[in-house]
Amino acid sequence: MAPLKSLEPEFSAIDSHFQMFCVSLGIFTVEDFLLYDLHKLTGFAEQKPNSERLKQGITQLLSVVDGLHKPWMNGMDLLEDAKQNKHILSTGCEGIDMLLGGGLREGQLTEIVGPSSSGKTQVCLQAASSVAKKHMGSVVYIDTCNSFSPQRVASFVGLVSNLPFDQGAKHKILQNVMSNILCHSVFDIFAMFGVLHQLEFKLRSQKGDNQVQLLIVDSISSLITPILGGSGLHGHALMLSVGYLLKKLAHEHNIAIL
Amino acid sequence: MPTSAKWWIDGDESAAEMLARVSAERSVSLLPPPLHRLPLRVGNVVELVGPSPSAKTLILIQAAINTILPSEWNGVHYGGLERSVMFIDLDCRFDILCLSEMLKHRIMNLNGSMNKMNQDQEDIGMQNFDTRRKSNIAYDEELYTLCMRRFLYVRCYDSFEFLSTLKTMHCHLQKEKEVKHSSIHLLMIDSIGAFYWVDRATSFLPSGSTNRKSLSLQSVFETVVQEIRKLVQVHPMLVIATKTTTFGDRNFANEAHRKYLPDTLDFRNAATNTRQLPYQENMPSVWQSFVTHRVHVRPSDHVTIVDRQNHSLYLSEWLLPSLSYLDKFIVQDGGVFLHN
Repeated sequence: MAPLKSLEPEFSAIDSHFQMFCVSLGIFTVEDFLLYDLHKLTGFAEQKPNSERLKQGITQLLSVVDGLHKPWMNGMDLLEDAKQNKHILSTGCEGIDMLLGGGLREGQLTEIVGPSSSGKTQVCLQAASSVAKKHMGSVVYIDTCNSFSPQRVASFVGLVSNLPFDQGAKHKILQNVMSNILCHSVFDIFAMFGVLHQLEFKLRSQKGDNQVQLLIVDSISSLITPILGGSGLHGHALMLSVGYLLKKLAHEHNIAIL
Repeated sequence: MPTSAKWWIDGDESAAEMLARVSAERSVSLLPPPLHRLPLRVGNVVELVGPSPSAKTLILIQAAINTILPSEWNGVHYGGLERSVMFIDLDCRFDILCLSEMLKHRIMNLNGSMNKMNQDQEDIGMQNFDTRRKSNIAYDEELYTLCMRRFLYVRCYDSFEFLSTLKTMHCHLQKEKEVKHSSIHLLMIDSIGAFYWVDRATSFLPSGSTNRKSLSLQSVFETVVQEIRKLVQVHPMLVIATKTTTFGDRNFANEAHRKYLPDTLDFRNAATNTRQLPYQENMPSVWQSFVTHRVHVRPSDHVTIVDRQNHSLYLSEWLLPSLSYLDKFIVQDGGVFLHN
């Protein structure tokens, strides 16, 4: 909800005259400008004495609006991006890899659905250990039902490792792998939003090695079921917002989400 | 005075001339199945409704491929329209590899059939055939790149981004026209109802003076419809939008209709007396009146066997204008195909 006044330092044409003109039409923020008919606006601007200046202001505002949305891409650009950035991460279990066509793909959200005690948490833990070990990326594990078990992850790592029986090296590898897995416990949807926004901020500000490659949410239903139901207006909206945030994280930062 | 009056009475052009002009500029095109029952012109707005896994995005991709392929390329007839398409992804689930696979399949199928025909007709030796096949594969790459470049894509994560995309689309389309000399023919919006719940939840913002419009569901859709109308006037194109219906809404709709009498807007009732109502319409009326055609797609419970593989069968039905038969189609690698 950026007010027009804050754009003044950067864009000289959006000066106080322009702002007065906009206020007279009821436009206070960029969002109001989005809702207003452009032709009507230019029509009004032409009636004023300093119409050229006002029209410059409108063009500059349009360029600001242009920056608000994601850039246009054509098919070849998308294909390039998909080939270069979106790798496939193996889940560590061959059967599941076959079903998924190679494994979890970065940029996509994969959902594991099943009744309770059907092995979903085990799949999550195995995927976490396999990604942390094989692909050297970090894994973020968002745990809503206290099911993260470091011992189990360690045993998965121990299973997969095929180095000689050097206790010291094994221990070091184990340490590396475990330090790459970050676990957050959240118990309601607002804390989830907080964690996701923090993650987004962190990813945007630092682009070094040890990029987050996998984000596991176990399990999203325990966050959403309490808020859905009845005439759940806000419940649906919150659920969709979480979905969109996850999709955005996946696509922009090349993370696979489980 | 007499000359000007005569000129005024004579008019600008006769009806035949106008018809000739309009059919040349705004021609009618037939989309690939299952949208093939009615000819669609630029300026029409088609809405594809259906529950979640019902091949709506695949139908969009198929229509896109039809539009971006050229009609003739190196002697092979592809039957496309050779224009650009614009895909606004509000659902953010689009997979570019799906599009590229279908395009490759289509090109190879048509190339392969053409090759076979030529070979049967001319009876060429093996060597010639090999060199020709190699050169055909090289053509494929060039054709493929050309087609992929005609596919424009943008992704929006909320209503603000969608509105800003629409507002600045005019300038982008002008630039595209100048650079590539191919204008845009098809605008596809994946899941127009994507932000419905989020906008509905945020519509309880207090509005200050009467002058200022607050960002509510109603105002967002009014602006969207306005912008699309303006765009279609300047860049004539066909608009196809998909919409997902949710299962829960259907039960609600059945209960509501048991209590209240169906109103005049409910043309579905008249057509489908014996069947249940397909879904509940929850979009604002400004969008509903903007839509000129509506198709309802859904998966059926049957599974058919085609080419020794199990495929699930989908049904499609035209709701607006209301046609009384169902089309059945299946989804294969090469696209969406009609089934009997």
